[in-house]
Amino acid sequence: MGAAAQRDAVFRALSDPTRRAILDRLKRREHGVNALCAPFDMSQPAISQHLRVLVDAGLVRAEKRGRERIYTLEPHALKLAYDWLGHFEQFWTDKLDALGAFLDSEE
Amino acid sequence: MKRDFRIERRYPHPPERVWRALTDRDALSKWLMETDFEPVLGHKFQFRDKPRPGWDGITHGEVIELDPPRRLAYTWRGRPGPDQPFNIDTVVRWTLEPDGAGTKLVLEHTGFTGFRGVLVSFILSTGWKKLMRTKLADAM
Repeated sequence: MGAAAQRDAVFRALSDPTRRAILDRLKRREHGVNALCAPFDMSQPAISQHLRVLVDAGLVRAEKRGRERIYTLEPHALKLAYDWLGHFEQFWTDKLDALGAFLDSEE
Repeated sequence: MKRDFRIERRYPHPPERVWRALTDRDALSKWLMETDFEPVLGHKFQFRDKPRPGWDGITHGEVIELDPPRRLAYTWRGRPGPDQPFNIDTVVRWTLEPDGAGTKLVLEHTGFTGFRGVLVSFILSTGWKKLMRTKLADAM
């Protein structure tokens, strides 16, 4: 997946409150799927579906350990998305310079 | 670190001039982007830019505050393509104040709470920082 596609997948993954809550739990430590389901009023297949979106976005890594799948946070994808948001600040800085030049040119 | 951002600028031009540059579509097309903007409350418009991977180049806006020549706000939404949900759903607000013979202009771009809030909370958490350092070290 290219950087843009991954960033997009990250934003789509983060747009859902359940997935954000899952990430928040994984931020503290890794979890098996059963432990992840516990605080949610949701079936395990529904949680697994959310986990798949998170894994596809590269936000979470799944690892088979014994009979359980363990989910771990993969922070690099978040870093990419965060860096991208910084571009907005750069965008406006450039545009406000352009506004200044435009106002001067109207004199 | 903040979820939203605010930029302040001073221009040696009176608020009325700055206001016109912020609300006249020909002026906007020169310094910001091609647009069909109109300074009318509730007016829906677009800013058009070159498409980039993950964004179709169109910013969708609606005027939600209008108080010439002091205050202007509009929604600022973007998405990867016409059939997709907005993954950028934010608000841009301009505030103008007289500053001597010129203008103090404040730009606020807010509403990143959905994803940016999550990102910030991760970045601020110690566990995340430690994890990042390890991952980055691995990557190098």
